[in-house]
Amino acid sequence: MQKNKIEAKKVSVFYNDKKALNEITLSIPEKKVTSLIGPSGCGKSTFLRCINRMNDTIEGCSMTGRILIDNKDINEKSLDPVLLRARVGMVFQKPNPFPKSIFENVAYGPKIHGLTQSSDELNELVEESLKKAGLFSEIKDRIHEPGTSLSGGQQQRLCIARAISISPEIILMDEPCSALDPIATAKIEELIDELAHNFTIVIVTHSMQQAARVSKQTAFFHMGNLIEVGKTDSIFSNPSEKKTQDYITGKIG
Amino acid sequence: MGFWAFFIIFASSAFFLHWYATNKALRFNAGIKEGSKLPSLPQYYGLYTLLWFIIPILSTFLIWTIFKPFLVDYLVIQKIPANLLNSFGGNPSLILSTVKAISLQNIFPGTKQELIDLAKYMNELKYSTSSSFYIAILFLGLIGSSFTLKKISSRFRARQSVESVNIKLLIFCSTIAILTTIGIVFSLIFEAIRFFEQIPFFDFLFGLSWSPQTAIREDQVASSGAFGAIPIFSGTLLITVIAMSVSIPVGLLSAIYLSEYATNNLRAFLKPILEILAGVPTVVYGFFAAITVGPFLKGLADSFGFSIASESAIAAGGVMGIMIIPFISSLSDDVINSVPNSLRDGSLAMGATKSETIKKVILPAALPGIVGAILLAVSRAIGETMIVVMAAGIAANLTANPFDSVTTVTVQIVTLLVGDQEFDSPKTLAAFALGITLFFVTLVLNLYALKIVKKYREKYD
Repeated sequence: MQKNKIEAKKVSVFYNDKKALNEITLSIPEKKVTSLIGPSGCGKSTFLRCINRMNDTIEGCSMTGRILIDNKDINEKSLDPVLLRARVGMVFQKPNPFPKSIFENVAYGPKIHGLTQSSDELNELVEESLKKAGLFSEIKDRIHEPGTSLSGGQQQRLCIARAISISPEIILMDEPCSALDPIATAKIEELIDELAHNFTIVIVTHSMQQAARVSKQTAFFHMGNLIEVGKTDSIFSNPSEKKTQDYITGKIG
Repeated sequence: MGFWAFFIIFASSAFFLHWYATNKALRFNAGIKEGSKLPSLPQYYGLYTLLWFIIPILSTFLIWTIFKPFLVDYLVIQKIPANLLNSFGGNPSLILSTVKAISLQNIFPGTKQELIDLAKYMNELKYSTSSSFYIAILFLGLIGSSFTLKKISSRFRARQSVESVNIKLLIFCSTIAILTTIGIVFSLIFEAIRFFEQIPFFDFLFGLSWSPQTAIREDQVASSGAFGAIPIFSGTLLITVIAMSVSIPVGLLSAIYLSEYATNNLRAFLKPILEILAGVPTVVYGFFAAITVGPFLKGLADSFGFSIASESAIAAGGVMGIMIIPFISSLSDDVINSVPNSLRDGSLAMGATKSETIKKVILPAALPGIVGAILLAVSRAIGETMIVVMAAGIAANLTANPFDSVTTVTVQIVTLLVGDQEFDSPKTLAAFALGITLFFVTLVLNLYALKIVKKYREKYD
């Protein structure tokens, strides 16, 4: 019996009056990769952004229902979204390194959360995060050059290094490979496999092959509804819903 | 043929030529059953013909208007009778200027009849453009367009030709602004050179005393004249520093509020209101500084037991700072807004608070643009005149005390040039020397600001 890290219970999200998500109930297992698939505009990214309350930053966006992380409601008044986001890291669709050096990009989180006492410790943490993100060997000589000077794939791995530098429990990935070429994508997927040993990962993806390659559990969203969720193997080989079948075989999408 | 008759003929033949050429092109295309039709659309042939009708006429007209005065002068000089020339000591240019004065209705009693006749002749030349000229330029236009009408064939690409004419027109328009700037610089330079012929360059640039009262008579006292620009530039610097220390914090913080905290509706409401501040005439700010702020500061100082002048650098600088707030807030707001949202999300998703995000990510990313905005505001502050005239006085004190009265470069230029002036005394010419120095300073500032903005664009897009 595996432990569930995240439990979503009847989560609905509204943009002003428009309903974007309709009563999603979904459990996400700990230290596994769960992928959310579905056509554009189906609400999978919206759901992802509920988990670290990034939707709070969007004007006119509201949510009903409950999301529990380790059995605690993240929308409770006493819980500061800033602290939540330190526990739930996020990697975005487009690599978004800060206009700072590679080092400063990774040191950003540890610095604001006061994770290290000395500069030696900080250096070590940065190096370790870059190593975990599989980037260190490529850039170790130019760690003080701007993060924006890296290639797209390297930038995305820098963003992953930045996310893991504060040791979150969960990493959310919003189509992390959609702006990358196949080789860079393969490297990121390899990295996701690696990271799943230590982190709970939720990944939104457009590519069904990617979902099949990296995830243990897959959830299929359509028009704001969660149509089907299950083990990735069974979703792709033997979906129980007609809509899932249609999407996987390319009839809708 | 008067001007209006000419204009009507010009306009109607322009319309006709356009129509005719377009039609000719259409007929050409219709006549070809097989093989290559015209390479461009018919209306381009019409346009091209029209252009070659208008361009010769307009350019001749322009050249004519520029050189006509010289021609008129020449013709008048040719007409001068010999006896008149002798009575003016054989100097035709003297007669010419007298005739010019008379032609402007300044006839004194007892003016020689020959001179009046000459003036009449001059007016005739000036105000009547002969019909032969109009006919000649219309003919010129027709020659131009008839050449282009002949060119209509499958080998002539009219669109490319029209576009190249258009591009030349655009180039011409853009050079007008540049040429004007160059003209301004040269007019300043020539006057400034005349100033530096009388006052040594380094005395002007490094002199510590400014009192531009030159003696009119030899025996006059207390009018030795000192042209050291340091007190004026230090006054400008002092007022600019005061203005910037008001406007930078207030402007920047309101920009941060507007772009990061205000809701969209509030921002749409507040930003135009802030920008209204930029539309208030500077004279009105001057009133405000001289009548409200100055006396208020004086009263405040009195109640603390100090005594300050009601005309002070701080009153002028403070009000100028308020005037500049919208420059900084509006430009910085735009810059901060142009920082991509992905950076905000990236920082917030790391568990940074909003203020940490602003301080550590947004502002550093926007900094070059903000610096550009500040430098533009500085050149605005340096160039500002009215507030300082009204609130800071015109005494050229070399002081760093903000409660003293000081003066600025622009204020001195105004005081030097207001009223009756002789344009060869160093007092008047000093204005041009100050002007060109100021021009140079603001030019350097603007170039620097542009460079920073450019650097910003390269780095974060």
